[in-house]
Amino acid sequence: MDPTREHLDQLLLQIGISAYVVAALALFAYFLMRRPLLRTVGIPLAVLGCVAQFAELGARWWMTGVWPLTNLYGSLSLFSAVSAAIFLLFTIRYDLAFVGGFVMTFAAMAFTYGTTWNEGYMPAVPALQSYWIKIHVPIVISAYASFMVAFCVALIYLLKAAAENRYARRRVAAAAAAPAGTPGAASAFTATSPPPFTRDDTPAITAAAGSGDASAQWLAGLPSLAKLDVMQYRIVAVGWPLLALGIITGAMWAKEAWGAYWQWDPKETAALISWIVYAVYIHLHTRPDYRGNVTTWINVIGFLSIVFCYLGVNIFISGLHSYKM
Amino acid sequence: MEARRSHSVASRALGPLRESWDDLVRLFAHVPFGVSLLAAWAFLTLIGVIVEQGKDPSFYAAEYAPPLARLIVRLDLGNIYHSPAYLIAIGLILCSMAAATFTKVIPRRIPRLNPVKIDAIPLHARVRIAGDAESVRERLAAFFAARGWQVRKREFGGAEWTFADKNNWARRGVLVAHLGFLIIAIGTTIYWAKGYSGQFAVLSGQTATIPENGATIALHRFAYRIDPIQTKAGTVYQPIDYVSNATVTGKDGLPRDAVIRVNQPYDVDGTLIYQATYGFAIDFRLTRDGRPVPVSDHPLKEGEGFVIPGTSRAIEYTRFVGTIDRATGQPAADPRPNDPGVVVQAFDGDRPAGSALLALGQPVDLGAGYALTAQRYILYSGFQYRYDPGIPVVGLGALILLLGACAAVYFLPARLFVLVRESEPGTSEVGIAATTVKGYEVFEERFDEIVDALRRMQSGPDAANPARAPLLESV
Repeated sequence: MDPTREHLDQLLLQIGISAYVVAALALFAYFLMRRPLLRTVGIPLAVLGCVAQFAELGARWWMTGVWPLTNLYGSLSLFSAVSAAIFLLFTIRYDLAFVGGFVMTFAAMAFTYGTTWNEGYMPAVPALQSYWIKIHVPIVISAYASFMVAFCVALIYLLKAAAENRYARRRVAAAAAAPAGTPGAASAFTATSPPPFTRDDTPAITAAAGSGDASAQWLAGLPSLAKLDVMQYRIVAVGWPLLALGIITGAMWAKEAWGAYWQWDPKETAALISWIVYAVYIHLHTRPDYRGNVTTWINVIGFLSIVFCYLGVNIFISGLHSYKM
Repeated sequence: MEARRSHSVASRALGPLRESWDDLVRLFAHVPFGVSLLAAWAFLTLIGVIVEQGKDPSFYAAEYAPPLARLIVRLDLGNIYHSPAYLIAIGLILCSMAAATFTKVIPRRIPRLNPVKIDAIPLHARVRIAGDAESVRERLAAFFAARGWQVRKREFGGAEWTFADKNNWARRGVLVAHLGFLIIAIGTTIYWAKGYSGQFAVLSGQTATIPENGATIALHRFAYRIDPIQTKAGTVYQPIDYVSNATVTGKDGLPRDAVIRVNQPYDVDGTLIYQATYGFAIDFRLTRDGRPVPVSDHPLKEGEGFVIPGTSRAIEYTRFVGTIDRATGQPAADPRPNDPGVVVQAFDGDRPAGSALLALGQPVDLGAGYALTAQRYILYSGFQYRYDPGIPVVGLGALILLLGACAAVYFLPARLFVLVRESEPGTSEVGIAATTVKGYEVFEERFDEIVDALRRMQSGPDAANPARAPLLESV
């Protein structure tokens, strides 16, 4: 291939990775310090990385005439670009900047790992020479990327929920140590049984923040658990139908390529498992009793199943989607 | 009278049965029960991903530790997708979905317009707005209608309530998704009942018949294209194209030329024929003391073999080697038949007795006067065929499932309950509460926006400002 074009490809690749790494650092710092300047730096860098990566994929297609998503490099590259795009879209609508450090770190890791699978410019094998690759792969990758962003929000939920439990235990211990009949004891016990719907769902953190605890003040600045839960739901609500659509388009492609829309191939079966896990999430989220901690843990399990489906099956298990030689 | 008595006796007799039935339906409709079934389904499916399916017991004995191999064989985990446990799990899920649909989803689909205790609903607010009750009601109705809410008014006990609904249609999403799942199950059952599939290989110049529908396929030529590509890791021989040129004859008896490629199946009387694989069949020649010994009436494909007459020994054709490296005598990376050979495995009874790489046309001495020559290769094409009348049904079910899932998760059906009372002359108090099918937290921000907008109505008529209306009230 023309060295100038190859140079352009490399340049875009380097801009993408650099922008992701610096955006991840800036947004992590924003997560820790809440300085608006860091957010102002981090978000445009995330946009730059995302644009550079899409441009790199587009440039590859333009330069080689080969759809760039035929190998794990192209797939991971799109995954990180779409992750950044979904994060940015949700940031515009719901102010998700606090989770950007996590998302951009995963995006940078995926992109960097993907480059280790970059074999250069290879034409597609016959099974991949289908218009379905332009439909099925981007849909599935977008679903994976949504679940990754939802997973990042889940991590923050679990962090805050664990801190709330710790502060609540401390309050109970402090109340037990206080002489009976003091006002502190009564308020501590009422705080452990909040009303069914309360805008402050971390009263122990709020109380500790009010008494000057620096970590509690930092935690209190995070969105409420209810908001983090809703945020996860909104992102999973994007990913789950996309995964369903991805499985359906994959089945249509399989019918055209292999003669059966379902072959119990490890990849499609693992995708079905992920779909079921998120179906469990969606169903349990309809129940107030399970909304929050339980659904967040299921979200985490769901993302682990996605990692298994995306990388584990392709790399370690032989099948029709295998990258093993 | 007699009939009524016998009916009541029957009811009494059936009472316990009826109660048990109701209990069973309640259990199956219980969301955590349904979710447990989904989890069991996922677990069984995961076993199928981890444990290779459809292998012989000897395979599991060789691949896994003895206790694990025994477990796999005894529990039939190597055939899990067709095991009774798997089918029962799917059946129970369908029952659970049906029970939930009929007892929960359908009855709750469109809740009635009833008054509520506004302060008892977590999302509630009270706003004072200038104007008498009637004019405020009218302004509120215009306000909500401009924002895409469906406004209805009802009078209960002399008080006029305003109800505003959004995305009411999306309440049917769960019902539609469950229906889609059921239709997919019906579609797959149709294949089991009426469909068929299989595979066959045809040597160039030969004809094969699909037994189920009698169609014949005469393969004129199979061609492949494999290109050497220079990559960072070195030269990779990348398959580019596999194509079979054939004549296919269906029920009408008319021969038709067909070009069958990967991703481009050929349809003969509703049965699709797919380009699945290809290989190199080999004409072996066995001689004893220079005299030919008949071994097989057809060229052998990979995995086929023959017994050497009069001995306990057998020869199996293991694999084709496109290029033998002349310098080392070992297989080279290029799979194209430049300097081809074959790998054969010798057996003495069931015991492997060694393998050898034979260059094509070069005889190899087998001992006892026997010599084996791989004379020439003939390309063959491997086809799959499948007739699946359930596909349109499965496709329809998938579409319905997807539409239902999108409706259920992307859109948020919400209802506002509004009660306007004149609090003092020239001012009305508006009590407003909101419920959604997905809890309160998911609507909290939107509710705050609505209440803020209502408060602004105090100072100016914001009602007729549709520009503030969101384009889509999503989750």
